[in-house]
Amino acid sequence: MVEEKRILYEHLDVPDINTFDVFRQYDGYKGFEKAIAEYQPEEIAKMVLDSGLKGRGGAGFSTGEKWSFVPRDIEPRYLCCNADESEPGTFSNRYVLEKNPHLLIEGILICCYAMGIETTYVYIRGEFTLGKKMLDAAIKEAYEQGYLGEDIRGTGLNVNIYTHPGAGAYICGEETGLIESLEGKRGQPRNKPPFPAVEGVFRKPTVVQNVETLCNLPFIVSNGVEWYTQMGPTYADTRFDPPKPDANTGTKLYCISGDVNEPGVYELELGLTCTELIEVAGGLRGEEVKAVIPGGSSAPILTHYELDTRLDFTSLTLAKSMLGSGGIIVMNETRNIVDCLLNIMKFYAHESCGQCTPCRWGTPWVRDIVQRIADGNGRQSTITRPKFGIAENGRWGDTGETEEIYEDLDLLESVANNIANVDTMTWNTICVFGIAVSWPAVSYMRKFRPEFEAAIRESKLVTLPVAEATVPPEENYAYQQRFVPKEFADL
Amino acid sequence: MSDELIQIETPFAFNEENQREFDKLIGRYPIKEAAMLPTLHLAQRQAGYITPAVMKYVAEQLEVSVMKVKDVVTFYPMFFEEPVGEYVIRVCHTLPCALRDCKEVLDHLKAKLDTDVASETNLAKGTTADGKFTLMKVECLASCDVAPVIMINDDLYKNLTPEKVDEVLNNL
Repeated sequence: MVEEKRILYEHLDVPDINTFDVFRQYDGYKGFEKAIAEYQPEEIAKMVLDSGLKGRGGAGFSTGEKWSFVPRDIEPRYLCCNADESEPGTFSNRYVLEKNPHLLIEGILICCYAMGIETTYVYIRGEFTLGKKMLDAAIKEAYEQGYLGEDIRGTGLNVNIYTHPGAGAYICGEETGLIESLEGKRGQPRNKPPFPAVEGVFRKPTVVQNVETLCNLPFIVSNGVEWYTQMGPTYADTRFDPPKPDANTGTKLYCISGDVNEPGVYELELGLTCTELIEVAGGLRGEEVKAVIPGGSSAPILTHYELDTRLDFTSLTLAKSMLGSGGIIVMNETRNIVDCLLNIMKFYAHESCGQCTPCRWGTPWVRDIVQRIADGNGRQSTITRPKFGIAENGRWGDTGETEEIYEDLDLLESVANNIANVDTMTWNTICVFGIAVSWPAVSYMRKFRPEFEAAIRESKLVTLPVAEATVPPEENYAYQQRFVPKEFADL
Repeated sequence: MSDELIQIETPFAFNEENQREFDKLIGRYPIKEAAMLPTLHLAQRQAGYITPAVMKYVAEQLEVSVMKVKDVVTFYPMFFEEPVGEYVIRVCHTLPCALRDCKEVLDHLKAKLDTDVASETNLAKGTTADGKFTLMKVECLASCDVAPVIMINDDLYKNLTPEKVDEVLNNL
């Protein structure tokens, strides 16, 4: 069984770790002190780049690379800490904010030192009242102790941290949506480029980082890059010749919920499989795994055939899914996938910001189609049409068979793919919310098509046994493209 | 929104404590408009909900048009444009909570409070006759490990069952 490897969460359960004194006893602020005593800001940025740290918020973009885009000659620069944790299935930031807020402050200080930033806004979810209270108290303490404010520890470094409450909009977790919201407007994402690193909040260069990403920084500085890169797999990126190493270093705060015996946050090295994670979380509640959502509700679903997929950025991307924010939702054999999709589609229809037409109209449309199917009113055409596929001559064409048309399933796929096309990975919207809608819609439908067809055919929700409900891998177009990465060391 | 409409309402102004808080807020941002969300939160806590008078006052304070404030208020689900109960009960109903029977909790609350669920455009629908509770469904509250969860005003209640809901309501 895989062992938990607690780094960020190591002292989370220590009583009063939220106070400055106790935090200091457990080596608090040592990483920051080492940074200002031993390294130049550029060296810290280099360390973060070399560590291979990937952003933990969802996109998994290299943090060091992001920092390298920030122009150093434009003043002022800002840091926005994204604590707007709203992705269904994700809850790791909440615990950091509520229990160990000084760790976040230390991470922010290191980032500010490396990037020469004086002002940080922590955009914190409106619903996180306790988290905001704890963070505010910790910030106040840090000011009193001389770790925030002007001329910190006699180095001439000035850092101010302000918390900024959100007001319940999911889209404000998108970095440009967050920036718009921070500027006091509707949280509607901006067109990119210019990227926030060049033109972000108040039209100034802005680094936007998730809470978990920032919390990794003290440990990278204290323990060194070599220590950090030993954790997690490094794959070979074969798009390059010779292949480049594609690092998935460090630990991840996996949030596991749904049908497991001990849901919660587990800090583990990147790269364990779905099966292993379910085992760590006390095993499955139920008989059989029907489906696993690997990275928050936006991620394409994994079937029971795909439980050997390793939960890291590269493997999941190649498995046509994503690690996202690390929110893993497990479903057992009693769950109806149509019902689950309906729940998720209601979420997206509610949270679409309304800026781009395909998303504003597409999300309620998709929801209505799924609702119709779930209510037993799914449309099924009575005509049959030639079934296209691999024909006798081995080429794509008319197979000579006929198939019944499930009009609503075709429509569902068409509407979803017109918000964002999951096969070509192009979206007709400004932000990636579009793909976050069509990914679940299309992947659930393709991978669990028999259950959707049964609901339409029998005019009610039918929960099929796992084996019958799942489309076998060889018949599943999205699945066929799945690719397991090679480790760099194996080449 | 015309000025005549606004004058029907009782005018709004921050009390002394909130004024101090607001003065602190405004110093944090290079432009005043950026203090919009925290200011609206502050105003909502004082007034109960965002009336046209509140919007007008906030607009004056932040030196923006009333329309811009309205623009923001209508976008975010946490700002109310109608009166709400003393206790706002937010029931999470997104997938992880749904997998753990949040429907049971919601149905129990509906029966117990004898009210429907509020919609964003009709908060009165979910408010009890005595004006004490407003029941609403919300999207993921980021506590999926302790699902199903509800939030009553600023407090989160975890691992709920209908019996626990009774207990929570009795202790309010």
